[in-house]
Amino acid sequence: MKKFININIIITCILLLVSCKKDFMDRYPQTSVPPDLFFKSEEDLSLYINGLLTIPGRDNYLSDQDTDDKATTGAVEIKSIMTGNPSSQNITSGWSWGRLRNINYFLDNYGKADVSEEVKNHYAGLARYYRALFYTNMVKRYSDVPWYSKALNPSDTSDLYKPRDPRALVMDSVMADLAFAADKVREDVPTGTPNVWVMKLLQARTALYEGTYRKYHDELGLESTAGGLLQLAAEVSKEIMSSGNFILHDSYGELFTSASLAGNKEVLLASIYDQDLKRSGGNWNILDYEMSPSRDLVQTYLMKDGSRFTAQAGYQTFGFVQEFQNRDPRLSATLFYPGFILASNAPNPKPYIQRLNKNFTGYHQLKGYINSTDNKTIADVDFPAYRYAEVLLIYAEAKAELETLTQSDLDESINLLRDRVALPHLDLAWVNSNPDPVLAAKYPNVSGANQGVILEIRREKRVEFAMEGYRFDDLMRWEAGKELEKIPEGMYFSGLGNFDLTGDGIPDIKLIDKGATIPNEDAKETNSLGEKLVYYKAGSFGEDVTVYLKNGTAGGTTVTEITPRQFIDPKYYYRPIPFNQVTLNPALEQLFGWQ
Amino acid sequence: MQKLLRLNCSRPCRELRKVILFMKLTALFLFVCCLHVSAKVHSQKITITLSRVSLEKAFAAIEKQSQYRFVYNDDNIPFNRRVTVSASGASINEILTSILDETNLGFRMLSDKLIVIAPKGTEKKDVTVTGTVINTLNEPLPGVTVQLKNTNVVVTTDVDGKFEIKVPENAVLIFSFIGHETQEVPVEGRTSVNITLNAAENSLNEVVVVGYGSEKKINVTGAVDQISGKKLAERPIANLFQGLQGISPGLNITYPGGRPGATPAINIRGITTLTGGGSPPLIIIDGIASTVDDILRLNPQDIGSMSVLRDAASAAIYGARAAFGVVLITTKVGASGGKQRVSYNNYFSWSKRTVLPNQITDPYIYSRVLETATDNTPWDYVNYSDYQYQWAKERSENPSIEDTRVDPNDPTKWTYMGNNNWNDYFFNKASASQNHSISFSGGAEIGKGKPFGYLLSADWTKENGLNKLAKDDWNRYGLRAKVNFTPLTWFKIENNLNIYQTITDAPTYNITDLYYLQPTQVAKNPDGTWANTGAGRLGAQLTDGGRNDQTRFGFQNIIRGTASFLNNDLQVTGSASFKREIWKYNVDYRKYKIGYGPDDIREEGGSGSVSATNGIVKHDVYDLFATYNKTVANDHSFKILAGYNQEEYVWSYEQVSRDRLISSSLPYIFLTTGENPLLDADYSTYALQSVFGRLNYTFKNRYIIEGNGRYDGSSRFPRQRRWGFFPSVSAAWIASEENFFKPLQDKISSLKFRISYGDLGNQSVSNFGYIQTLPTGISSYLINNAMPTIITGAPPLSVDPDTYTWEKVTTFNVGADIGLFNNKVQAGFDYFVRKTIGMLGPVQELPGVLGTSAPTQNVADLSTKGWELTVGYRDNFDIAAKPFSFGVKVFVSDSKSKITKYRNDQLLLSSYRVGQEIGEIWGLENDGYFSSQEEIDALDESAIVPWGALDIVPGWPKYIDQNKDGVIEKGNTVTDPKDLKIIGNTSPRYRFGINLDFDWNNFDLSVFLQGVGKQDFYPRHYLFWGPYQQPYAGIYEWNLDYYRGASETGAERDRHSASYIAAGLADENKNSYFPVLQSWLADANYGAGLDIPQTKYLLNASYLRIKNVTLGYTIPNAVTKRFKVSRLRVFFTGENLYEFSAIKKYIDPEAVADGWGWAYPYQRKYAFGINLDF
Repeated sequence: MKKFININIIITCILLLVSCKKDFMDRYPQTSVPPDLFFKSEEDLSLYINGLLTIPGRDNYLSDQDTDDKATTGAVEIKSIMTGNPSSQNITSGWSWGRLRNINYFLDNYGKADVSEEVKNHYAGLARYYRALFYTNMVKRYSDVPWYSKALNPSDTSDLYKPRDPRALVMDSVMADLAFAADKVREDVPTGTPNVWVMKLLQARTALYEGTYRKYHDELGLESTAGGLLQLAAEVSKEIMSSGNFILHDSYGELFTSASLAGNKEVLLASIYDQDLKRSGGNWNILDYEMSPSRDLVQTYLMKDGSRFTAQAGYQTFGFVQEFQNRDPRLSATLFYPGFILASNAPNPKPYIQRLNKNFTGYHQLKGYINSTDNKTIADVDFPAYRYAEVLLIYAEAKAELETLTQSDLDESINLLRDRVALPHLDLAWVNSNPDPVLAAKYPNVSGANQGVILEIRREKRVEFAMEGYRFDDLMRWEAGKELEKIPEGMYFSGLGNFDLTGDGIPDIKLIDKGATIPNEDAKETNSLGEKLVYYKAGSFGEDVTVYLKNGTAGGTTVTEITPRQFIDPKYYYRPIPFNQVTLNPALEQLFGWQ
Repeated sequence: MQKLLRLNCSRPCRELRKVILFMKLTALFLFVCCLHVSAKVHSQKITITLSRVSLEKAFAAIEKQSQYRFVYNDDNIPFNRRVTVSASGASINEILTSILDETNLGFRMLSDKLIVIAPKGTEKKDVTVTGTVINTLNEPLPGVTVQLKNTNVVVTTDVDGKFEIKVPENAVLIFSFIGHETQEVPVEGRTSVNITLNAAENSLNEVVVVGYGSEKKINVTGAVDQISGKKLAERPIANLFQGLQGISPGLNITYPGGRPGATPAINIRGITTLTGGGSPPLIIIDGIASTVDDILRLNPQDIGSMSVLRDAASAAIYGARAAFGVVLITTKVGASGGKQRVSYNNYFSWSKRTVLPNQITDPYIYSRVLETATDNTPWDYVNYSDYQYQWAKERSENPSIEDTRVDPNDPTKWTYMGNNNWNDYFFNKASASQNHSISFSGGAEIGKGKPFGYLLSADWTKENGLNKLAKDDWNRYGLRAKVNFTPLTWFKIENNLNIYQTITDAPTYNITDLYYLQPTQVAKNPDGTWANTGAGRLGAQLTDGGRNDQTRFGFQNIIRGTASFLNNDLQVTGSASFKREIWKYNVDYRKYKIGYGPDDIREEGGSGSVSATNGIVKHDVYDLFATYNKTVANDHSFKILAGYNQEEYVWSYEQVSRDRLISSSLPYIFLTTGENPLLDADYSTYALQSVFGRLNYTFKNRYIIEGNGRYDGSSRFPRQRRWGFFPSVSAAWIASEENFFKPLQDKISSLKFRISYGDLGNQSVSNFGYIQTLPTGISSYLINNAMPTIITGAPPLSVDPDTYTWEKVTTFNVGADIGLFNNKVQAGFDYFVRKTIGMLGPVQELPGVLGTSAPTQNVADLSTKGWELTVGYRDNFDIAAKPFSFGVKVFVSDSKSKITKYRNDQLLLSSYRVGQEIGEIWGLENDGYFSSQEEIDALDESAIVPWGALDIVPGWPKYIDQNKDGVIEKGNTVTDPKDLKIIGNTSPRYRFGINLDFDWNNFDLSVFLQGVGKQDFYPRHYLFWGPYQQPYAGIYEWNLDYYRGASETGAERDRHSASYIAAGLADENKNSYFPVLQSWLADANYGAGLDIPQTKYLLNASYLRIKNVTLGYTIPNAVTKRFKVSRLRVFFTGENLYEFSAIKKYIDPEAVADGWGWAYPYQRKYAFGINLDF
């Protein structure tokens, strides 16, 4: 009996120890949030919306490699398309819908919050703004895309397998989202996040994009609907201008080199970098990266007196130093100029000598490069993600395209940009009677009474926003894809011999024949400053030299590559839906000849 | 006393009885009640009532009531005799006279209340038996337990193996000793008994630890291998993992490198699932489920034995977590009744790196080849000036010329031209490590039939890394206290406490960054500051850049009670294990100084930062199980096991990081001043509940059938599909026991066939996989001047909660074990087919507009087939009149896994697919080089040009156009692979181990080899490709054999250094191993060019490694016993001594494990140590 009792005691003890709590087997995480406990307060809404935040950052300075502004050795999609055999099997990026799911999930749930309508509308406005951005990008690539206004589930088969929705329908929804955002989002928001004025800018930008796109792309058959959108662009941009909240910043260059853009009246929203607060920007080796500015961009800048650089006789044979003389000051804020002193060379303040190399133009990008040796200084510079200058340009362009542009419109838009850099005003009557033949050749589809001013507005946009990531979209909406067929070229050299690159008239480099040998250090020629010349072998593309010139040793512009480019119109304005997606959902048809 | 007892427990008894009625085990316990015993003891007077019990039971009952003990020989006790006793206050004489009436037995009282029962006439004689116990090597065995059967009368042998015991002349003695077969010897009147004990190892009579019990090896029906701890104790291993590699067939240990304290991947029988993260087996330490990491904290000297359960039948008792096999580790116990023993073991070792690619160091060759590599590309990033070439040339010809100068163009800066082998600079050639362990063990009897045993051990291990510049080591401090005692004769308690601490102390920066360095860099400036180069920076970072200290402190206590009933036929065991660990990690980054120029020393490393992590582990396990063994009518033997198991695991950590150290010498979190400290946390938990059972039936000792089952519940599955039942069945036939086999006995000593089939669940899926929650994170933007916590998006649809459940793993296993020539030769073979059914996989691919990957369901299947073969030979004979014994054990194992079900309709190569063999390499077939522009024009390879930008020129690799379309392309699907085909397989095949040991004249020698018979490796990254990858790191000797279309002549040739000319680099080389020298051609970031696997550079990664050689010498007893030392052995040993391998030209053959070869170097170790016993 004693034994029996003992066993019982032991077993009972063990059972008591392990006594099964009823929920012993139910385990929940502690570092993520169950949805049914969320979407209750304004704080919840803000936590989610902050997760959707996206603002262009300093890496935008590396963009425009896909345009006529830069030569690149990078694997850029449009370059691969123009030089290869593009198909839905090898153009497979872009069909990513994860972000839309995150946005729509919020829109499906925010209504549950126990907060006022005003609060709900503010956050819903932000979510719809992000959705509009998402869809605009989709439309840019694919034109017609399926529209979804809720987060999908695997069981939603009719939605999952539906065909594309027409572009007009999708863009109507986008414009509705933007209109809602521009109406409901607050003006006073946490720093570093978009407020109602950013919504309005995007509303204007998107209206202008779609309006001009429809006007110039007849393959869509939507020309008749362009006017309304352009009208909207003009109205919204005018509203921003009239608000009096924004003025252009005095110094163009400071927009790209300031440690803080807070309080800058031109910047609607900056992407803030602050090393102390753990967000650092870098120079991304702009100096030594795979890209270099093109000569075509250099030639686009006006002369200091407002005249056209390309109107000068013999401008095509101007060398680097001559090209930079008496130009729109924005040129020297965008590119390394002759005599530029690189801070990293200190304490040896000699002007930087442009480095030449195969596949590079010889021009170096300055915009986005922080000329300092101090890491914190470099890290802290903010990026002007949305600038008031764009509002002015939208206004002018929309009015010009609507053919309602007046001189006073120009004076309160484009001419403000010109005032900032001390360029003479653009005169509507004069320019319309003297359209720039170089630009006219670039944009042959611009015509009508406003041809001259439209061309100048396009010049102003390219110059003002060079290297900031706008050019590709502009070329696409202006239907100027053919412009991309031109392979970017570089500096002009008259032939072999000595050249000045620092602007002091004293030679800095020496181009020698491909057959010659670069002499030993001791045997190198010295200039009058006592500096050794930098030697390069020059010749034709593909030869064993460092500098490729158009006419080989006889000179010409530097050549970056020779593979011919073909821009098929209208096919290459669009991208194919990836092959496997069409296989999964055959209702998705390829458009514009894509296979 | 009787009264007292009743008073105390009558009420609780009733209540407890009610409780027990609810229990399923009640039936088993009712057996206890059959024995109606009530007793009262008054000094020598006994009150006892027995009704119709056997004589043995009567003796046992008396023993339990009194202090008497009986000595008898079973064979003398009449079978079937039942006695009835009813005595009240009777003397022992009266009772015995009564129950021995009508038998031919008599009895005699000895001292110590010992009573001899023997046939009448013989019971009167006592003899003093003396003797010596030796092992098969004729060595005396000290500490052997010599027990008088059926009593607790025990003596142990002395240092000479001698014993003396006074016993009745008909007594039976039991000789037992750890690691040896136990022998029973009848005295039969002899006064001298000399015994040779056979080592238990390799013996079919060896007792093998299996799930919830042990079993004689001959009776095991599953695929089980056992390793004795002795094998591990004598190697210079810092942790148990290092000793497991190649030691057991089918047990695969893959090391990611030689970093001290590294946890390797451990796996049994190859890949089991696509979802389980490496499929580690279940680790059971002293009966308690543990984590793989727990192996690190064990003192190798503490290991008693290890069993590896490979098939489902042997693992099934552990249910859900045993799907990938089980490793059972049992620590040593303090022997009860044995003598006290003190052991001390140590080793001191020196290690250096094994095989590591060495860069070329000639500064001229390096500079010129690197520039050539980029000259041939559109990105001409490397341009050395003539000044640098001149200097390089001078240094190449006269290395005594200085490698650091003041920059002639900028006198404020240094400029460099080194010729360094960074492996030699950063890695130590003799890193000292050591281990010490001491243990006290023994036992005593604290009362009649109440033995007590203990084992106390402590160890300290310090494993040093190879870092020459900074401390980089791993330490373990361990303490184990094991006691077992028997408070009641039928109840035993064991307590097993382990306290441990491991400390990893390393620099924060990673020493493997040295693989990025260039030989022309210099580490230190002439003024002693760190140079402004990658090498100088790495040197500064390793020495001054911060420390990464990871301390884990923990303890585990296992308390286990075992109650025995029905003459030990029924045992009930309850155990509880509590483990707690504290993880304290401190990682800091500090400022360090770099000398830019003679008077320009700058501080780098930001403002410094500290990240402090506190983690805690809670792991509680409770087990309750009962075993019942019964043999009926001699031929029918049953074993039944039933039990319950419950487990709970919680792991969580909080981490805080803040920057701006107040001072670099105070790297503590509170002494920082940065804004926005970052918080991080993680939490994971699971719970398990199970009931399990086993039924084993053996007929005539030769037919065995066994069934196992386990009903498992896991918190990792939703309530509705949380539980699963996993059964298995196995059978064995011991053919050698059959009568028709007897004539062959002298040749085939044992032969057994085994077969098993089982169905296991796999619960190694994520803890909260089925719970959809909103993921949180930290914003990458500054909002209100801080990076706030955010919701990162919608809940992912990772699984379909409506169908999510257990993966099933079914294993079919057939095997045979054979022993030849008196078991001198033993072999075992197993073949298995394992199917993993219902792995989480995509049900079907859904359109991308869903915005997330389609939820996975339990729909994918995998099939693995493999085999294991073990052959051992053990023998001994005399050499020079001294016994020589030796043993060989060789095993080979292999497995191959194929996907049998997976939803990938298009058969995309980018995903798993039906028919795919795990490890397949799809690649191009090399066809030499393009030799002319015509050839280039004839075959379009533009689709595989890296970055779309390199030029295809003569000397570019040419491939076979498999689909004859004139274009070389990578296909996307199995149905249209374009020019790809399967060119190899990365899975290791034919893993083998060879163990040899020899013993002669106090010398022992063991050799252990281990390897992989077949494996392919396609190299990627710098360590093989050098400048072909990117032009920012080293160049390796083999890279110099690159394609050169024409010889240089004239001035071109004259500019070079003598070394360059001597290396033939100015000469034509069209028959080269490497193609035309273009950087980025093998860029590991783009997936084109040489980064696409191809036949020419597919390397053979098979190897044979001399893992360990140990030579020991045991000082003869005659010498040592003068110092009261029972055993003193000194040994010399080497780990990873040498390897036979084709790939070792490039990297260590084991370094292929990570796919890159980017490993912390593997270590070669030389050590000596002693084993000392008192």
